Amino acid sequence: MIAIVDYGLGNVSAIENIYRRLGIEVVAARSAAELAQAPRLILPGVGSFDWAMRLLDQSGMREALDDAVLGRRIPVLGICVGFQMMLRRSDEGVLPGLGWIDGEVRKFEPARSGKPTRLPHMGWNDVRSSTFDPIFAGLEEPMRFYFLHSYYVQLAAREGEIGTADYQGDFCCAARHDNVVGVQFHPEKSHQWGVGLLRNFAGSSSC
Amino acid sequence: MLRPRISPCLLVHEGGLVKTERFGNPKYVGDPINAVRIFNEKEVDEIVVLDIDATARNREPDYDLIRRLAAECRMPLCYGGGVRKLEHFERIVSLGVEKVAVGAACCELPELITKAAEVVGSQSVVAVVDARRSAPAAQPTVLTRNASVDAKVTPADHARRLEGLGAGEILVNSIDRDGTRTGYDLELVQSIRDAVSCPITALGGAGSLVHLGELVQRFGIIGASAGSLFVFKGVYKAVLINYPNRADRDRLVSESLGARGSLG
Amino acid sequence: MDHRPYQICSNCVMDTTDSLIAFDEAGVCDHCRTFERTIKPNWHTDARGRAEIERIAAGIRKEGRGRDFDCIIGMSGGIDSSYLVYLAKEELGLRPLVFHVDAGWNSQEAVNNIERIVDRLNLDLFTEVIDWEEMRDLQLAYFRAGVPQIDTPQDHAFFATMYNFAEQNGIRHILTGANYSTECVRNPIEWMYYQSDSVQLRDIHSRFGSRPLAKFPITSVLRHKVYLRYIKRIQVVAPLNHMPYIKADAMKLLADRFGWQPYPQKHFESRFTRFYEGFWLPGKFGYDVRRVQFSSLILTGQMTREDALERLKTPPLDAATIAQETAFVAAKLRITEEELMGYFRAPNKTYRDYRSQDSVYRVGAWAMRLLGLARGGKR
Repeated sequence: MIAIVDYGLGNVSAIENIYRRLGIEVVAARSAAELAQAPRLILPGVGSFDWAMRLLDQSGMREALDDAVLGRRIPVLGICVGFQMMLRRSDEGVLPGLGWIDGEVRKFEPARSGKPTRLPHMGWNDVRSSTFDPIFAGLEEPMRFYFLHSYYVQLAAREGEIGTADYQGDFCCAARHDNVVGVQFHPEKSHQWGVGLLRNFAGSSSC
Repeated sequence: MLRPRISPCLLVHEGGLVKTERFGNPKYVGDPINAVRIFNEKEVDEIVVLDIDATARNREPDYDLIRRLAAECRMPLCYGGGVRKLEHFERIVSLGVEKVAVGAACCELPELITKAAEVVGSQSVVAVVDARRSAPAAQPTVLTRNASVDAKVTPADHARRLEGLGAGEILVNSIDRDGTRTGYDLELVQSIRDAVSCPITALGGAGSLVHLGELVQRFGIIGASAGSLFVFKGVYKAVLINYPNRADRDRLVSESLGARGSLG
Repeated sequence: MDHRPYQICSNCVMDTTDSLIAFDEAGVCDHCRTFERTIKPNWHTDARGRAEIERIAAGIRKEGRGRDFDCIIGMSGGIDSSYLVYLAKEELGLRPLVFHVDAGWNSQEAVNNIERIVDRLNLDLFTEVIDWEEMRDLQLAYFRAGVPQIDTPQDHAFFATMYNFAEQNGIRHILTGANYSTECVRNPIEWMYYQSDSVQLRDIHSRFGSRPLAKFPITSVLRHKVYLRYIKRIQVVAPLNHMPYIKADAMKLLADRFGWQPYPQKHFESRFTRFYEGFWLPGKFGYDVRRVQFSSLILTGQMTREDALERLKTPPLDAATIAQETAFVAAKLRITEEELMGYFRAPNKTYRDYRSQDSVYRVGAWAMRLLGLARGGKR
């Protein structure tokens, strides 16, 4: 069973639709009590960093989330801004992040590899896995996913990096720290690759 | 490598899908849900659905239709039509839609763009710029409300202002090329490219994959949207949903980008 | 419900779910006897059949000279019509206009198959899109009527559009993928009745529909079987009956040459037909159309009776698929699953419960047989 943390942001319906059509039980959790039951969590997110952190704090689920993830070590998948929230801070805002993954979120530089950077990074891009991770198991290579963001994750240590993409230079687009995994792209809008990744997250005990 | 986005653009009129020519003469194309479902199974890059009645008839966005469309999409969906309030943005996004397109409101309610960008993020705010040239070599001008109101501004100035207000993407649509299948108005697109740094999607005039290739070759990473091309087939304009498969798309993109050479 | 003891044909797999079935002393049913006595002796797939179709094709080519196309072929994306298009163009040297009727239920595979074949054979395509709101309303009317033949809206629209188009454009030849090879046993009338009966269609619509049928194409059996056939002389030809037509071979050829995608079962090019034949008809009425299809294949040597019986042991669709398709159909028709299943559980009706032109069909069939113009056929 998957619980999607529904704090008011992120494409909860799309993720629910995918799991329903896969026949996997899914629920949108809106309270600390609902979170407490879930064996696996998804933290979605779109929009700006501070807005997302504020809404998460206001949802009343912040403590339950920290407890589930850091205390009980429940597997959790962060998507897009949900992934960014798992880091310590972001260039986009002033509020601190959840700090579950060591690193920060940086804005794409105005120029990369000698070319001006057009923002946001929007569209389908290839994802290369750095070290094998079970969320990418069985996905057709080369993997491609849909991206829509202007900020990217910069890990404190490379070893947490499980996937990179090239936008005028490589950047980290997927990372893991124990039970916490995050992806910058949108698996709920990435056709077969996304469905496969979400299925992997729901199914594998090592996810 | 980031790819140019190739997206079908579907027009909804009185609940059914239609295709227009120069914004007139709507021809019935069928049930929107079935069309989107087939495009989803063809794994299109993303899809744009515009309700062409809503603003003209002062109607709210059709949330039931939106919810059902979103349920069929495993790719990003951009929805527009009748969006005039912040609440519209919020509701549409919460139904599972990535981007919300605004047309008339860009002229009539510009502060809405800024508010929406703050709440849902500028990446979800798409400003639609419908432009028409009175003659092939004449300067294009922006029209709204299904080409019935003259906004008295050039597309480039309009786009620049909208980006400044917070729009995260410009969808530039050539009214005079719409449905003609004679190719995109590349100069119009160029004027927008010169004016803004956010992503652009071109619409209006694509009649074959060659036209998509021309657009990509000239502009590199850009959105190539088309209506007639992906909905009609052949001289009788037979309605048949079609879209190039992944291999053909990748080949088209790599050849077109390759032909750009050192432009990048 | 019929009170006869259960009996299944000893030769094919038709059984007493066809309530009009009759068995001889050897336990062989009347479908088999009709095939042996009237269809098979007159069905030539050898040189004689080939010569006949060549002759017809030559006539079509001659009449069509100077025109953009010489015949029309209705293409659903299914195997029969797809193979027919290939045959018409490549082997019979015809110049068909490919015609497709979009009733809103096309699967992606169907659309893809049509595209591939039309492109690779360099043919022109014409599509008629049925107004979805009217189609939906008519389909719901049929559900509410409680009759088995709920796929009539799609079928009727197809025939009506084809004939209308042929008449309006002065086309004299319609090629159909109808074939004895996979269809020599026909669906019993009580299962699917006659899709072309416009009197019944209008009656069901007037009782259970909620919006006018303004754009929906309507034909009538007298119109297309008598007027168009004998007055306007629009001829319907079934080329697949004039040569050996083995489905498996046809599918392989199309897959190899055109990348044609096969379907899991007959008629799966329409999601609605799949739901109808795979769940609704067997579940609500006990009619399994696979019996008809397999019996045809048995009679034409393409399937063994043992194999058919084995396959009939499992339902056409498993429970998970039924749940998924039920949800899909309900969502597409914009009703709740409760409402749809309400129709499923409602009392079963038959075509006799509504106005019909049944008498016209019976007289017509008798007349056609008398005049030697038809063999076998529905009963």
